[in-house]
Amino acid sequence: MRRFKWVPALLILMLVLSGCNGFTKGGSGAEKADAEAEEGKITLDFWTFWGSEIRRPIIEKIIEDFNNSQDEIEVKHTFIPWGDIWTKELAAIAAGDPPDVVINDINATALRGKNQQAENLSKYLEEDDISGDFYEELWNATLYEGDSYGIPFNTDTRVLFYNKDAFEEAGLDPEQPPKTWDELWEYAEKLDVKDGEKYDRLGFYPMFGVQTDVWMMNADNVNFVDENSEVKINTPAKLDTLEWLNKWHQKYGADNINSWKAQMESQQANPFFSGDLAMLVQTPTFYTQIRDYAPDLNFGVALLPEKEPGNGHTSWGGGFVAEIPAGAENPDASWEFIKYLTSKEAQEYWAVKNFDNVANIEASESAASSDEFNDNGKMVYELAVEAMPLTMLTPTSLVAPDYMTLVNPEFDNVYLGKKTPEQALKDAQAAVEKEISKK
Amino acid sequence: MAGKRRFNYKTKEGLQGYLFILPWIIGFIVFTAGPLLFSFAASFTNYNVTSQMDFVGLSNYEKLFSGDQLFWTSLYNTLYYVLFSVPLTTVGAILLSALLNRDIPGMRLFRTIYYLPAVLSGVGVYLLWMQLLEPGTGMVNTVLAWFGIAGPNWLFDPDWTKPALIFMKLWSVGGGMLLYLASMQGISKSLYEAAEIDGANAWQQFTRITIPMITPVIFFDIVTSLIGGFQIFQEAYVMSNGEGGPVNSMLFYNLYMWQKAFEAFDMGYAMAMSWILFVIVFALTIVNLKLAPKWVHYEGGGK
Repeated sequence: MRRFKWVPALLILMLVLSGCNGFTKGGSGAEKADAEAEEGKITLDFWTFWGSEIRRPIIEKIIEDFNNSQDEIEVKHTFIPWGDIWTKELAAIAAGDPPDVVINDINATALRGKNQQAENLSKYLEEDDISGDFYEELWNATLYEGDSYGIPFNTDTRVLFYNKDAFEEAGLDPEQPPKTWDELWEYAEKLDVKDGEKYDRLGFYPMFGVQTDVWMMNADNVNFVDENSEVKINTPAKLDTLEWLNKWHQKYGADNINSWKAQMESQQANPFFSGDLAMLVQTPTFYTQIRDYAPDLNFGVALLPEKEPGNGHTSWGGGFVAEIPAGAENPDASWEFIKYLTSKEAQEYWAVKNFDNVANIEASESAASSDEFNDNGKMVYELAVEAMPLTMLTPTSLVAPDYMTLVNPEFDNVYLGKKTPEQALKDAQAAVEKEISKK
Repeated sequence: MAGKRRFNYKTKEGLQGYLFILPWIIGFIVFTAGPLLFSFAASFTNYNVTSQMDFVGLSNYEKLFSGDQLFWTSLYNTLYYVLFSVPLTTVGAILLSALLNRDIPGMRLFRTIYYLPAVLSGVGVYLLWMQLLEPGTGMVNTVLAWFGIAGPNWLFDPDWTKPALIFMKLWSVGGGMLLYLASMQGISKSLYEAAEIDGANAWQQFTRITIPMITPVIFFDIVTSLIGGFQIFQEAYVMSNGEGGPVNSMLFYNLYMWQKAFEAFDMGYAMAMSWILFVIVFALTIVNLKLAPKWVHYEGGGK
């Protein structure tokens, strides 16, 4: 009898081991690739975070078109949620089994190049220079020591949406949106409708939709840490900005602002849709929400107002690149696919179907006149394309990648009344300089 | 002969035992102990996962203690959270289980209701709480307003973000409650009967019988929730978009570590941070274990 006591234990062990076995085999892209390779096709594993009902079919259609356009490469799409994709990718690179192409944050591309997380694309670009196809600011963000480590895919910018009916009601010309910060203030005063301490209609608050940093870029066109690793936080223009923003904050008061902010976060109830907020800075893609939730809204769009006439309507944006993770198995095939992804055809399809800004200049311009957009759509998209060359990126600093954690609390301190703008900027400047000097 | 057999049997049983826990042992060595040692070694390097791993001596630790303001901020935030959330959730769970340990009709329903939040977890709950805690329209402030209290700007006011998280944690004391309830039901009725005959009132019975009898579970709960408290991450990550909230008031230790590891790719530095946290938690657990004999009552005198 006693020998049989081992049987259940062995059974369990076998089960566990077979489980482990299945675990190591399942889901490995490399092996699938091997299997396909026998048929003479290279399989690429393409990671994106586009899993929504809207975006997923669009990216999958682009992949399908690519797969049908040739018979050597077969791209498979793997959706990985936003919160996981880049940590997973990093782990996969470290484990030596990365995906073949991945969509990643444009601002940190140089940092990934420096850390050799992505493949250097220069050898492909020497043969096939596509750098001129993209907005310069975007292209430059992909460079580390002159070499590109990712090709810009989609991007965004910030524009001013305003309610034309509210303008008319307040005696303003609905075709003349504010052009400067002073006009913005003046118009907002006229558009405000106050009821005791509360507001029935808020004219404008600069920090709905965007944060302090965007207005600072708008004011002096210089990132907090410039390309020479000089800290440019405590500058006269940035100080003006912080004072100006604080003036808005004091005007409406924290209670009003917070309760309005909470409403903005729930999409359908955005006060801009109901006309309770007259002006709002948002990405052009915000238009799709207006289209879906407030189709009757009579609105206009304008470039971000400038600090003073002639200062420039500088806006701010981000975006994503398609890149080859370091150690990918078939970089040549990956490059072919990336070229397709960032070609005019695929970019225009993405732009039109998603109402999203794309990095390819030609594709952007032809999307603006697409027949698929109605008049409002065209108006917004045209303005977005106009804003693109004025749009600044804030690439991650190579010397202090996470310095914003030091800067943002100082801005918070100003709005909470705990520090003067002068003091806050001085402290932020000192903190970031210290962080950089530690390296 | 008989002696030998028994020895044999014991050895066999021991071997069988090891065989049964073999999957765990392998898992522990490969997935826990290995990475643990690796992270210890890498904490003395400038490891960034992909391209560099040079020995830098103690410089990561030096930077942490001498020049990193955010390290202290994050440590303060985490200690604040642990200091309030552990006692509050423990007391909350005990009181709740005392209430639910009574024989009245419908008790099962109440137990289910109070346990339910412990079943729900993760991002969905945090998003739900972000709505509940919204200053203007959220349920929490709406209810407070019924009593004439102007609720705070919970997640927007740096003084209220941590209390908001602790408040949220209290909502899910059901998990701890279940442990206490099970332990309370195991207390012999004869103890209460004897106390009643001696004229002890309900409060005396609670403090003199119930509490001492459940001290092993209280001990277990405190140790595990202390460790868990130091690991707070998800809540802050979700509710502050990974940034740490207003004035970094939700920048907890693990969130800061995550930022260093996966945003700045300063993995060596992050690993050094994780070892400091390990030492802190380890020391506190030792203190706990040393203090335990003074207040934890094990029936039958066992350890």
